[in-house]
Amino acid sequence: MYLKKYIALLSTAFSFMMLISCNSSSSTENKTTTANTEGGTEKLRIAVIPKGSTHSFWKSIHAGAVKAGQETGAEIIWQGPQKEDDRQMQIQVVQNFISQGVDGIVLAPLDDRSLATPVNAAVKRDIPVVIIDSDLQSKEYSSFVATDNKMGGKLCAQRLAELLGGKGKVIMLRYSEGSASTAEREAGFLEGMKEYGPNIELISTNQYAGATMEKAFQASQNLLNRFPQVEGVYCPNESSTQGMLRALQTSGKAKKVKFVGFDANATLIAGVQNGEIHGLAVQNPFMMGYEGVKTIVAVVKKENYEKRVDTGVKLVTQENINQPEVQELINPDLDKWLNQ
Amino acid sequence: MTPKVEIPPATVMPPLPNKSKGESSSVKKVLLQFAPFFGLLSVFILFVILCPPAFYSFYNFKTIITQTVIVGIAAMGMTMIIISGGIDLSVGSQIALGTVVIATILNMGGPGVEASTGITILAALGAIAACAVCGWLIGLTTSRLNIVPFIVTLGVMQIARGVAKWIGKEQTVSTPVNNLQKLMLLDPEPEWLIFAPGVWITILLVALTAVVLKYTVFGRYIFAIGSNEKTARLCGINVSLTRMAIYTFSALFTGVASVMQYSNLTVGDPTAAAGMELDIIAAVVIGGGSLSGGEGSAMGSIIGALIMAVLRNGCNMLGVPNFVQEVIIGVIIIGAVAIDRLKHHIKA
Repeated sequence: MYLKKYIALLSTAFSFMMLISCNSSSSTENKTTTANTEGGTEKLRIAVIPKGSTHSFWKSIHAGAVKAGQETGAEIIWQGPQKEDDRQMQIQVVQNFISQGVDGIVLAPLDDRSLATPVNAAVKRDIPVVIIDSDLQSKEYSSFVATDNKMGGKLCAQRLAELLGGKGKVIMLRYSEGSASTAEREAGFLEGMKEYGPNIELISTNQYAGATMEKAFQASQNLLNRFPQVEGVYCPNESSTQGMLRALQTSGKAKKVKFVGFDANATLIAGVQNGEIHGLAVQNPFMMGYEGVKTIVAVVKKENYEKRVDTGVKLVTQENINQPEVQELINPDLDKWLNQ
Repeated sequence: MTPKVEIPPATVMPPLPNKSKGESSSVKKVLLQFAPFFGLLSVFILFVILCPPAFYSFYNFKTIITQTVIVGIAAMGMTMIIISGGIDLSVGSQIALGTVVIATILNMGGPGVEASTGITILAALGAIAACAVCGWLIGLTTSRLNIVPFIVTLGVMQIARGVAKWIGKEQTVSTPVNNLQKLMLLDPEPEWLIFAPGVWITILLVALTAVVLKYTVFGRYIFAIGSNEKTARLCGINVSLTRMAIYTFSALFTGVASVMQYSNLTVGDPTAAAGMELDIIAAVVIGGGSLSGGEGSAMGSIIGALIMAVLRNGCNMLGVPNFVQEVIIGVIIIGAVAIDRLKHHIKA
């Protein structure tokens, strides 16, 4: 008879846990929707699916989505893949939201092809989809809300050309094969170099940093050893910029070599402040979440919306880093939206 | 193969207890036999109570079943390995390798051209063969070099992942449109199939595994080796040969799982299914498999896989944050093993 007691105990414990978790989740849901316009029409349920949930970039998107949800009176359901950066898991999350019958989906696809099938399935079931951050190879989605990466690359080229006075030797370290967004930033940089610094010599543009900061560090060290005469460097994303920064520091070239990078984190911001990084192109993830939700709500309500929304890039430098608008971009007040 | 031998049934089926206690203990035994099934039922009912009605719609039912396919098929192979007292940590990497092999073969017809049926079938077979080679290597090294499978498969996990990245040139491999991509569609084409073709394949493979384990000499050998390897050897079973056969045969299932994974992703992805082996092992364990060998069943393992899919889906529906889901799945795994231990107490 021990068995029965045991199983009973286990099952009660389990159901308790479920209840507790449900209670807590429903209470947070309530919190995010308190600003709803009470009375009147049924509120929309919008699913927002990031690529992962622990990175600060996604937290900013979440905060932006919550803000837009409060303004439009929509309920925001935030759910990333159970394993960070796992395509299969993200496909399952999209499928589950289709089953659940949400009113609209805002998705940052982990892969420009794998996520096309579930997105098409959603549209087939009359659930519109807005893509944020990275593009998807599908014609079914309603709108694409993201940074204009080419523009960002051009901006970096302009900055570097100005810093070098229109002449000198420059290295561009690419990020990784097959990454569409960084490839555009690289193309934009090369285009911008032709425009703003036609006399600048690009001594290396074909090397890849790889996906992690560690690999980027090694690749950067090798490049700096091979080209000791370098005067300017450009990197197209966070990990490559940080790897290059570390390599410049360890080789004693930091501050001497003009360095422009892309994306921000605490280390890179510190680098800008102490003059080791001369320019950092920063995206606006908060805006991405905000505009993504605004757009999907417009789609669901059959109002006018843009097929392509550019959320903008800002160049952060030592000169402008203390301006309030730049501070808001690099140190957004997320708690205001996420933990109220 | 050695001539057919009678396997001592004692290790597999305990002798019936005497008659006076017979009735109540046989009821208990039946209950225990179906413990995973009751687990699934109670989890499902719990979510039916808690979740919005969308949870028990037919469409969501289809979603859950389709999401079980990859883990479910791979769990069939894992069931055989775990019953034989082994373990395979390389399954996730093998699945990734399989998807890359498929994508590479599909691209042989030239880029942008819709792949012909011949090439499509060849690609699927290629993936299954690649996994079978991995399985064969694992079996060979464990039995000939006498290294425990935990270590060997830990090594193969790295090797298969590395080879997958090498073949895929360290990036995802895109593929032309082909029929393999239709295996996992939630709304299948043609419509009269009701479920995705992958679901039907899973059902067939579960039946196949159950029959192999119960009614074939090979299946009985698997139980014998897992229950007591020395006795099995004394009974005249060629243990090392059988072990090689077990790992190779199981890897065929992994190969089929990789075809399903490709169908879902529509690209060859060398980083796919990282850590999936743990889900698969968990499915087998929740379904009553014992890591010390000699126990487990095809039905139990597929129910284990279903339990996890229902949990993920249900938690999604409730809007439970990811970290709570992970905690719950962890509790379920430990709970399942606790019940398993209890089973042994009762049997003894």
